Amino acid sequence: MHIDTVVGDRLVHKPKFLAALFAAAFALFFAINVSDTSLGISLASLIGNMVAGDAYGRGIIALILAAIFVADIAIIGFLPLRAQLIVVWLQLAVLFLAFFLVFHLSFPFILSKLRFMIVQGVVTTLYVSAIAISISFMLAIAGAIAKLSNNGFAIAIANFYTSLFRGLPLLMQVYLIYLGLPQLGYVVDAIPAGVAALSLCYGAYMTEIFRAGIESIPKGQWEASRALGFKFGLTMRRIILPQAIPVIVPPTGNQFIAMLKDSSLVSVIGVWEVMFLARTMGTKTFQHMEMLITAAMIYWILSMGLEAVQSRIEAYYRRRGAR
Amino acid sequence: MNLILIRALAAFAAISIGSAAFAGENLDRIMKDGVLKVATDANWAPQSFMNDSNELDGFDVNVAQELSKRMGVKVEFVTPDWSIITAGHWSGRWDVSVGSMSPTKDRAKVLTFPAIYYYTPASFAVHKDSKALDKTDLNGKKVGATTNSTFEQYLQGDLVTDAEGAPPFTYDVKPESILSLKDSSAVMDDLRLGDGVRLDGMLGSLPAISEAIKNGYPIRVVGTPAFYEPLAIAIDKGDDDLTAKIASIIKEMQADGTLSALSVKWYGVDYTTVSK
Repeated sequence: MHIDTVVGDRLVHKPKFLAALFAAAFALFFAINVSDTSLGISLASLIGNMVAGDAYGRGIIALILAAIFVADIAIIGFLPLRAQLIVVWLQLAVLFLAFFLVFHLSFPFILSKLRFMIVQGVVTTLYVSAIAISISFMLAIAGAIAKLSNNGFAIAIANFYTSLFRGLPLLMQVYLIYLGLPQLGYVVDAIPAGVAALSLCYGAYMTEIFRAGIESIPKGQWEASRALGFKFGLTMRRIILPQAIPVIVPPTGNQFIAMLKDSSLVSVIGVWEVMFLARTMGTKTFQHMEMLITAAMIYWILSMGLEAVQSRIEAYYRRRGAR
Repeated sequence: MNLILIRALAAFAAISIGSAAFAGENLDRIMKDGVLKVATDANWAPQSFMNDSNELDGFDVNVAQELSKRMGVKVEFVTPDWSIITAGHWSGRWDVSVGSMSPTKDRAKVLTFPAIYYYTPASFAVHKDSKALDKTDLNGKKVGATTNSTFEQYLQGDLVTDAEGAPPFTYDVKPESILSLKDSSAVMDDLRLGDGVRLDGMLGSLPAISEAIKNGYPIRVVGTPAFYEPLAIAIDKGDDDLTAKIASIIKEMQADGTLSALSVKWYGVDYTTVSK
């Protein structure tokens, strides 16, 4: 989106907007009645003695919360863009974590399991995803080239491949490969079966991304390199791919993040990765919520890592493009 | 010409069907490798679960360890999904399931059950706020059970336990709808939300329900057990030598009191004989 240079008043500093926001926030806080929660109780003790839950006390608490909320928005409005980003992000994260606190989780239990969760679970998740990512990358390049070729067999095979593996649920592919191959006499272990299912499925998605990326390069580029006497391989390597890759990177990064999380499906065939441990470790003491939330946090952190890598790669290609 | 074609087809069919284990093949492999591979569901305390030191533990796990010790081999656990274990066609991925499996007719098509090693009562449970006084109060209600389990089959009026020594039972409860969930802890997690929130009641194994109550779940057992579930050790179809070997070891363990001791250790009760 292009940001123009016309400077106007910030929306969040217009009195009318702030008043409307305040009214809406007040109505909301009044309606959901926070007086019984720990937040309401701590506020009530600050203001002084009040009967919890009575309409007057409820109104005061809603008033305070609405004031804090509007002041927060107005103050953030004064900050420079970068600071706004950080502050809003952090505030949302704190709210989200506070939401988890409501569950009364047992943190000593989480800490006692965290080490095994990382040593066994995260390591397995990461290496399963890493292998699957590299195989699917190669499948996708081969698939895209086949689809763009003028060889009938290659096009048909690649079409069939993307159609089949994009058309079946990934969980079903995991089962089919794990349970189906032994019927043909080839007994495949759980981890190779899982990696194969992930690679084939995501290879099919990425084939389409790569194909679209390569197709987005104008025909003139091909014709020009042909006119210069470049063969197919050289054209691809030096002319087409360097222009196509910046287009391909963002959707491919999306696929990698999706695959990282879909590696949890491998847990059904007994691979001890994050999801499997999350489901299993809390069973004895019935502390499922603890382990599920821990696993959720782990997946989130891993995804943030991938996002960071993706944005660095994008920045690299932006710099090269600007040169 | 036609005859040759038919013969070729027959030969092909023989090859593709011939993946079933030959007699003694699995036992030979276990003895040769010195490892008994045991499939177990790691999500089912107190039968099998991950203990504080992140190792598998529980009644089934102990029985499997004892079984392998008496066979003179080491034990190794694998943890595929329960439905994969009960589907059969293990193709040598693991040798035996010591997983409190009910020997139903359908399962007997793909698995062999060398021995029944204990019986657990299957009981109905409700949220503690529920008004139900007996299991019959759950007639026409929403009842939960584990997918593919004997509990679900009982609720569907479709349970056949034809193992020897299994006591007869009657269908006392016809729920309005059955909620089928992945494992017993998921069923109990739905029930604990409140009376009638997602479930009015559930059917599950009494040991699992007692364990949940011990851990503070707001649920209680109603009525007498719906049926006694004979629970068996399972192996892949077609290995008579392994069947005989496991059957004789379990007989030994029953005779010298090892099984009863393990049952008392994990359940506080001796479930290895039907107690009426």
